[in-house]
Amino acid sequence: MRDHATKEEENEINMTPMLDIVFIMLIFFIVTAVFVKEAGVTIFKPNAETATLQGQASIMIAITDTNEIHINRQQVDITAVRTNVELLHAENPRGTVVIQADRNASSGVWMKVFDEVRKAGVPKIATATET
Amino acid sequence: MRKFSKGDDEAEINMTPMLDIVFIMLIFFIVTASFLRESGLEIFKPEPNPAPPPPPPAPEDKPILFKIDNSSRVLYALRTIDVGSARAIIEREHAARPHVPVIIAAEKDGHMGLVVQIYDMAVQAKVSPTNIIVTEAK
Repeated sequence: MRDHATKEEENEINMTPMLDIVFIMLIFFIVTAVFVKEAGVTIFKPNAETATLQGQASIMIAITDTNEIHINRQQVDITAVRTNVELLHAENPRGTVVIQADRNASSGVWMKVFDEVRKAGVPKIATATET
Repeated sequence: MRKFSKGDDEAEINMTPMLDIVFIMLIFFIVTASFLRESGLEIFKPEPNPAPPPPPPAPEDKPILFKIDNSSRVLYALRTIDVGSARAIIEREHAARPHVPVIIAAEKDGHMGLVVQIYDMAVQAKVSPTNIIVTEAK
């Protein structure tokens, strides 16, 4: 009986390589986690061929074709854009802002949003496009 | 010696609870990982300037100015043009006078899609992005 027990112990699978992989995956996902604040509405973005990938984008501001502004799954007024962006930007200071303007949105609204985001102290503001 | 190593074996720390936590963290980070890759243009818009506008530039320094009016027509040199022909205009003018900026002046209700389209054309025509200015039409 005693002999049998030791034999079983020796037959145990060696978990060490799997654990190494699990730890590496864990570290990878922790490091790459950005927690994007999505706008929460569907936008028909304008086409552009020269667009570049916005890797650090963490705050999305959507402007719909009816000129409503959405941040973080909530519709907000233009006067509230600055406070909202300041709050979200403080959570992740490395993140940048992407304005997702609908192709039929008014450019005047885009300009107002752009100025408000700049006042909130975000150094890099991009405008989302379809490639 | 044999006895010693056996005692060591029994004193091994139980890793199971830690592994449970590690797996749960792994699943959490996999689920929240956003592989959302947003592509976009970094459109340059100058800060609103309350100072009076500078005197009009000399004819050879006149910017390449496109105006988008409230009913989303594209105007160049006081004529309505098709947005598709803007590319040819930018390329021609930029080749003749490479230092002048491209200005996209949009009225309040002009569609954002047109602004982005002309901006994209200007970048494709090798105009430096700092030389493309999007502004509000007066």
